[in-house]
Amino acid sequence: MSLLAANNLSLSFGGVHAVEDVSFSVNKGEVFSIIGPNGAGKTTLFNLISRIYDASTGSIRFNEQDISQVPTHRIAELGIARTFQNTELFEQETVLRNLLIGQHVHRRTNLLQEFLFLPSVRQQELRFRKDVEDVIDLLDLQHYRHQVIANLPYGVRKMVEVARALCLKPRLLLLDEPSSGLNPEETEDLSFQIEDINEELGTTIIMVEHDMNLVSRTSTRVMALADGKLIAVGSPVEIQQHPEVLKAYLGE
Amino acid sequence: MRFIKKTHYNQDIQLFKHQGQLFWYGALGVALLLSPLVLSDFYLGELSLVFIYAIAGIGLMLLTGYTGLVSLGHAAFLAIGAYTHAYLLAQGWPFPVSILCATLLSSLVGAIIGIPALRMTGIYLAVATLAFAIIVEQVLSHWVSVTGGFRGMAVELPSIGSFSLDDSVTFYFLCLFILTGCLFLALNLLRTSTGRAMTAIRDSEISAQSMGIHLAYTKTLAFGISAGFTGLAGSLLAHKIGYLAPDSFTLLISIQLLLMVVVGGLGSLHGVIYGALFIGLLPQGLALLRDTLPPALAQIPGLEPGIFGLILVLVLIYEPQGIYGRWLKIRSYFEEFPLYRKATHKRQRSYLRTERLK
Repeated sequence: MSLLAANNLSLSFGGVHAVEDVSFSVNKGEVFSIIGPNGAGKTTLFNLISRIYDASTGSIRFNEQDISQVPTHRIAELGIARTFQNTELFEQETVLRNLLIGQHVHRRTNLLQEFLFLPSVRQQELRFRKDVEDVIDLLDLQHYRHQVIANLPYGVRKMVEVARALCLKPRLLLLDEPSSGLNPEETEDLSFQIEDINEELGTTIIMVEHDMNLVSRTSTRVMALADGKLIAVGSPVEIQQHPEVLKAYLGE
Repeated sequence: MRFIKKTHYNQDIQLFKHQGQLFWYGALGVALLLSPLVLSDFYLGELSLVFIYAIAGIGLMLLTGYTGLVSLGHAAFLAIGAYTHAYLLAQGWPFPVSILCATLLSSLVGAIIGIPALRMTGIYLAVATLAFAIIVEQVLSHWVSVTGGFRGMAVELPSIGSFSLDDSVTFYFLCLFILTGCLFLALNLLRTSTGRAMTAIRDSEISAQSMGIHLAYTKTLAFGISAGFTGLAGSLLAHKIGYLAPDSFTLLISIQLLLMVVVGGLGSLHGVIYGALFIGLLPQGLALLRDTLPPALAQIPGLEPGIFGLILVLVLIYEPQGIYGRWLKIRSYFEEFPLYRKATHKRQRSYLRTERLK
């Protein structure tokens, strides 16, 4: 059954049609990849799903609920977490605090309790910490726990960002080019980690990715976009042989 | 170097991370409690002023250092706290109630100012808060029935019931007590969700939003909390200066407050204390210096604000992390002593951030 469904989604910036009449649906438990040449509208699509942009027309349904009008900060509470193409971490904070910020949607205490640090707040902090440690274990970030983000190499930052998104305990995880800037070895690790997240946590994943190797190893289905339009959806093998997809990448 | 064996997550949550910290803060506490035995009334008064600055600084630090919103108008909140407190005392309200109301009122005004300020960041926000401070200054000089206009108003002596808080030792302890309480509240806030949400907004609004942080709510909250602390400091300051006039709360005070958090070290509560010591004691230091200078140099008008400005510029260029940042570097030098590498704290530029979505 479908977890996320987009119907006739369009977004234009002035005369530029970044996304044009795109409809697709993602099933529960899938790893769904979006590919396409530069400027195809992949990241824009992500920004539409995470409600950073308002769609010009069309609607998005998540878990049987229309999310086209939901305010941006509510998206995380609904269970959609995302990463960013060039990493958007909280640079001046440690990895641990970054991940704890990922727990923000699970807080149950109010300001007064926090000011006084009542026992309920302490309990909550301990619970958060335990959940964060689970994610750290899953993604092997133990070494970096107390390091400040600004001092970390790029590959680790990418993983921290995935970890932070996982701290939301999302039902749907949006990964925007998770392998960009990673070396082949890190990309290899990433593909195992994506499988782990998908299988162990049961998280549905939508991923924008250029590395076809990674895509075909991890994805259940692939959607190809070009110039804001959907050209094909299918299994990784089908997509790699699809004549329209080849045309979009290689020309006539 | 100290290596701490960690066996429970509580060790990362508690305020004192290890025995050494407990010892040194305890020693500092004892020293502060005993200092009235040693120091003269004049120095106790100066220390009280430092404490008051520090309370205001906690407020501004939460806003500027932790939420990333620059305010050039915090003298206004200081003024609102001071005048409200003085007015309520004159109406015969008891001291604790009056000080609480002054805090809450400035907090409320801060939250209201926060709402239009939500759309602005950086320099635009600084200018908007500056405008607000000027408006408040005008209100103070023209709302004669409440503030006494340019004539100003006298502040009643502080007392709880028949117990007077006016003599310098009692007032010193009052300020110390309130400062400790404020530090405790601020530290608690910073180790919980709301504090983390504030730092998240400082570092990346877009990803804070994606983490489920309500930007408008958190920023308004930060403004409210910040103004509350500053208002509280204002009501203590009212007693310290004894007589309120609009020119006690000029733009220069706002700039001094900002200078305090920048020189102390943005993004740390230690920085607030260092900054307050700096701001509180520098004028005295300059006065002493002035006596030793040749008269031609000592009599230059505007020497003090000039030196303040010069120090701010020098700190921004050579030590953007302020006195606290410098202290951390010195400490790590001695901790790693023969192995210290010169480049440890070298600043690097990173070009990795996503272009901001407007």
